[in-house]
Amino acid sequence: MKFSYSWLCDHLETDKNANEIGEALTNLGLELESLTDYSEYSKFVVATINDFRKHPNADRLNICKVDDGTNTYQVICGANNVKKGLKGIFAKDGMYIPGTQINLKKGKIRGEISEGMLLSERELNLSDDHEGIIELLDDFENGTSAVEALKLNDPIFEIGITPNRGDCLGVRGVARDLSAKGVGKLKPLNFKKINQLEFASPIIWNINNDDNSCEYVVSRYFKNVNNSKSPEWLQKKLISLGLRPINALVDITNYITIDLGRPLHVFDADKIGKKLDMRLANANERILALDNKEYTLDKNTTVIADGNNALAIAGIIGGDLSGCTDDTKNVFLEVALFNPNSVAQTGRSLGINSDARYRFERGLDKNMVIEGLEYASYLINKICGGLVSKNIEAGKLENFEHKINYNFDYFNKTIGLELDPQKQIKILKDLKFQINKSNEKECEVLVPSWRNDVKNKIDIVEEIIRIYGYENIKQSVPSASIDEIDKIDNSSSNKKFKSIKKLKKTLISNGISEVITFSFHSIRAQEILKGDKSLKISNAISDDQSYMRNSMIFNHLESAELNFKKGFKNIQLFEIGPIYNSSQSQENILSLLISTEENTNSIYKSEEFNFYSLTELTSILISSLNFDIKQFNISRSTSNTYHPGQSAELFMGKKLIARYGKVHPLIMEEFSKLKNCYAIELFFENLPIDSISRANNINILDSQFQFSEKDFSFLFEKEQNLYEVQRYVKGLDKNLIKNVEFFDLYVAKDLGDDSKSVTFRVTIQSKEKTLEEKDLEQLHKNILEKVSNKFKAKIRS
Amino acid sequence: MDIKKVLNEVTKEIEQSSSQQELQNVKVAYLGKKGKITELLKSLKDLSLEEKKSSGSKLNLLRIEVDNLIKNKFNDLKIEEINSKLKNEYLDISFPPPNSIASKAHPISKTFDEVITIFGSMGYSVAEGPDIETDFFNFSALNIPENHPAREMQDTFYIDDKDKEGKPYVLRTHTSPVQIRTLLNQKPPVKIIAPGRTYRCDSDSTHSPMFHQVEGLFINENANMGDLKGTLIEFCKQFFNVQNLKVRFRPSYFPFTEPSAEMDIAYEIVNNKIQLGQGDRWLEILGCGMVNPIVLENCNVDTNTYQGFAFGVGLDRITMLKYGLTDIRSFFSGNLNWIASNGFTIGEF
Repeated sequence: MKFSYSWLCDHLETDKNANEIGEALTNLGLELESLTDYSEYSKFVVATINDFRKHPNADRLNICKVDDGTNTYQVICGANNVKKGLKGIFAKDGMYIPGTQINLKKGKIRGEISEGMLLSERELNLSDDHEGIIELLDDFENGTSAVEALKLNDPIFEIGITPNRGDCLGVRGVARDLSAKGVGKLKPLNFKKINQLEFASPIIWNINNDDNSCEYVVSRYFKNVNNSKSPEWLQKKLISLGLRPINALVDITNYITIDLGRPLHVFDADKIGKKLDMRLANANERILALDNKEYTLDKNTTVIADGNNALAIAGIIGGDLSGCTDDTKNVFLEVALFNPNSVAQTGRSLGINSDARYRFERGLDKNMVIEGLEYASYLINKICGGLVSKNIEAGKLENFEHKINYNFDYFNKTIGLELDPQKQIKILKDLKFQINKSNEKECEVLVPSWRNDVKNKIDIVEEIIRIYGYENIKQSVPSASIDEIDKIDNSSSNKKFKSIKKLKKTLISNGISEVITFSFHSIRAQEILKGDKSLKISNAISDDQSYMRNSMIFNHLESAELNFKKGFKNIQLFEIGPIYNSSQSQENILSLLISTEENTNSIYKSEEFNFYSLTELTSILISSLNFDIKQFNISRSTSNTYHPGQSAELFMGKKLIARYGKVHPLIMEEFSKLKNCYAIELFFENLPIDSISRANNINILDSQFQFSEKDFSFLFEKEQNLYEVQRYVKGLDKNLIKNVEFFDLYVAKDLGDDSKSVTFRVTIQSKEKTLEEKDLEQLHKNILEKVSNKFKAKIRS
Repeated sequence: MDIKKVLNEVTKEIEQSSSQQELQNVKVAYLGKKGKITELLKSLKDLSLEEKKSSGSKLNLLRIEVDNLIKNKFNDLKIEEINSKLKNEYLDISFPPPNSIASKAHPISKTFDEVITIFGSMGYSVAEGPDIETDFFNFSALNIPENHPAREMQDTFYIDDKDKEGKPYVLRTHTSPVQIRTLLNQKPPVKIIAPGRTYRCDSDSTHSPMFHQVEGLFINENANMGDLKGTLIEFCKQFFNVQNLKVRFRPSYFPFTEPSAEMDIAYEIVNNKIQLGQGDRWLEILGCGMVNPIVLENCNVDTNTYQGFAFGVGLDRITMLKYGLTDIRSFFSGNLNWIASNGFTIGEF
């Protein structure tokens, strides 16, 4: 909402300056977004070019003699409109030029001294015009301030109006709020009612809609008007806000919309029928609107129509064909009350943002209907002349009446501040709320007609504190109770964040960086990773953000490629965030991606990253969550994201804990720059939260006795799960077998196609004594026999 | 027998040995089973008792001296050998390592952590809710009915899939639905924060279609606006690490709070950089207010007994302000250079 200082003063008698008013507006909840105040431009003055000559060293420059009323200056000027006698705006040495943001400095330009500058509109931030220097047409005396010469003495306020404050979408409403804050006194509306309503309107109304979208409409017919340019005061007001004056009738309606926040509409009465309907549009009915666009309407749109033609979209925009032009002789003025909901719905579905819609959908002051009619009639009659008809109306104008029972203590309890009932009442009265009955404890408040947002007693509290001032609320010192600390300690979400932090620390210390990518999938990613189709975003901004992701791997491959293009060869990144399986199923997981290049550095050689390196990393991550990878059930992954032969899934019962492996070559086709990519997805939410959030303090008791190591080689079936073998061997003697470590795997033709040779080392140690040779031999024998029996394995050594 | 002669002879040979092997040969030649000194010692047995005594002790001294000389020479030779070997093991210490980049945590992680810690110290536990929400939780329960202009304050992403009421699912436009989920699940007192991802269809240098918020909710018998003010000022002081913090609370509007406020903190530009805390310019930091009784009633909370406040803070925004970052889009670009320059090492995190 934009208005000028002088416009505000039409309604408000105040001695406050623009800055003070701006601050008061913000404190009222009418946030000042900008205040354009040119008062500092008074340092720039009118000056005349008395004479000029070409610059000897530059074709396009002129050397001007400039008179500012006090002195004469030499000014080098490059503008093409330099001429003798031109009156412009002059800036002297040392002055700050707002448009270029520099301080002017006296100096030589191509060898000739320049003592100041003649300014363009752009250099004054008045417009983008930099075609030439400002040329004043009126005959101002040299030395007159630029503020006066350029009529910049009227600061412009731009304020943000929250959706509840429809009453402040008119300058008068803003003035009313300011007066309640004590910034000034609200002036009475200054106009005369027209007493001579000579004749009955030849055009009549009929409200014929079934959805109650129009409650009431009232009109007057103006005969023999003279519609031409508006008077200067009206044009100036509109121009000050950047609006273009059109003709008197249109300007008057625009003016009242801004002045009172009351939208109304004028039809050229000779272009419309004699009976106007307020009705729902027919399906596919079309209208050419005042914005020069054609709209196709549907059955939910209320239109104003004559016979078969829609003339206007109710509460939103008028039709082009029935609009008033300079030739308009007879006018039909419409002031209506439309239902905010239907205006909002229609406006949104047609995508029209008009001043009228903006106000109607926020709800209008019912008592302003007749006042608006009178005010508009007064202005039309005064400016355009002619005769005015009696009112013609349809529907019923209900009185606005809303009462709230309010107890003064409610304020104190809500705000935490004792405010005397008399002070509360005073504030409410200043806001033009009526106090009907009151005692020490409570009162009945009658809400003014323009405050349809004030519905409950809590709204009354807000009104009082808004005027009393938020700065007067006393802040208290926050604290935590024992119960609250207890809740935090037991909160599973708190525990989860704790575990996530541990996980992140482990990842970072392993050289992996954290990224955050969008929760979206591109259309391509969705096709490849086959997520749930119903997770399509209906109003996506772009094809890249069309679905909710069911995996992060695609996003991470994109990140990897981006980083590859920046010159990174080995990329290691992770993200902890949500993936979506359906609208009702989302889980937070860790997803990491490692993209490696062949190492060509002959000096700094590193081991090639492969599936087993990835397994080791998975194991480290799982350890950081207090679990041992080997306690889970391992199987090959069936996910089509991964290489079928180089990927694994870990399960705890039926719950998937982790999935990791080489990214499937078919997916890698999309990322031709990247070579070897490996990913881990850790579904940590499937692990018991109390176990993973525990601080890691595993007690490993060192035995003081000698340990012994023994290697075993077996020929297993090729698909034998070695996690099972390991668990089995460990379980053979939980007291003595400390560790079982697999260190060799051999698969070759000479073993046959369905066998593998596997070697592991068993560490044996007692907590009680140094084991004797015969104890060890017994245990070795036991391992050999049991393993070969259990897994049908051949002993190789 | 001339012991002196033998000593001179062996000393010379030891000194002339240039390798451990040569020295070993000398050792064998004198002290070995058939060595000269060993032989001399053997020949003692043929002498008289007196001669045995005098020659024996002299020969023993000789044996010990020679043994020491050899040990010392062995030591010298070993050091010499190692030293000469080391000369061949010199590497080019100036060969530059391949480029590497520091692995770090994302700034948002750091902010999440700080927010949970700071509010934790004030008694707030963490709560969570889903990103894909129903119309009810994101809007209607929060007193934002359909067609209400407040819905246009937020540009909502819709999902094709529809909920039980037949309304399309939405991507939550704020973390406020967690208020409703918590209040429907848990009897007051309730004191929670809910950090998480939020979405609005908007994209430029200060708006991202995905961003982060933290919601706060405190409901008990008497939590009032003074408590709200104190809580948020304390949070900002701790988060921005500015003790002398000038703030401003001004009236605003959110359908789910009444009265509503926005909190600004003062700043000034020093050396082209934003400095928070003092000055006469204001930066909007967060929205807050007393929970609208309509919202509490929607959650079956008795408004005669309970009241409280709620707040919502844009986490990306306060992160940008705290660390002087300017483009929100870089947060989600996956650019490791950006993470390395703006993220946090394990020690800092």
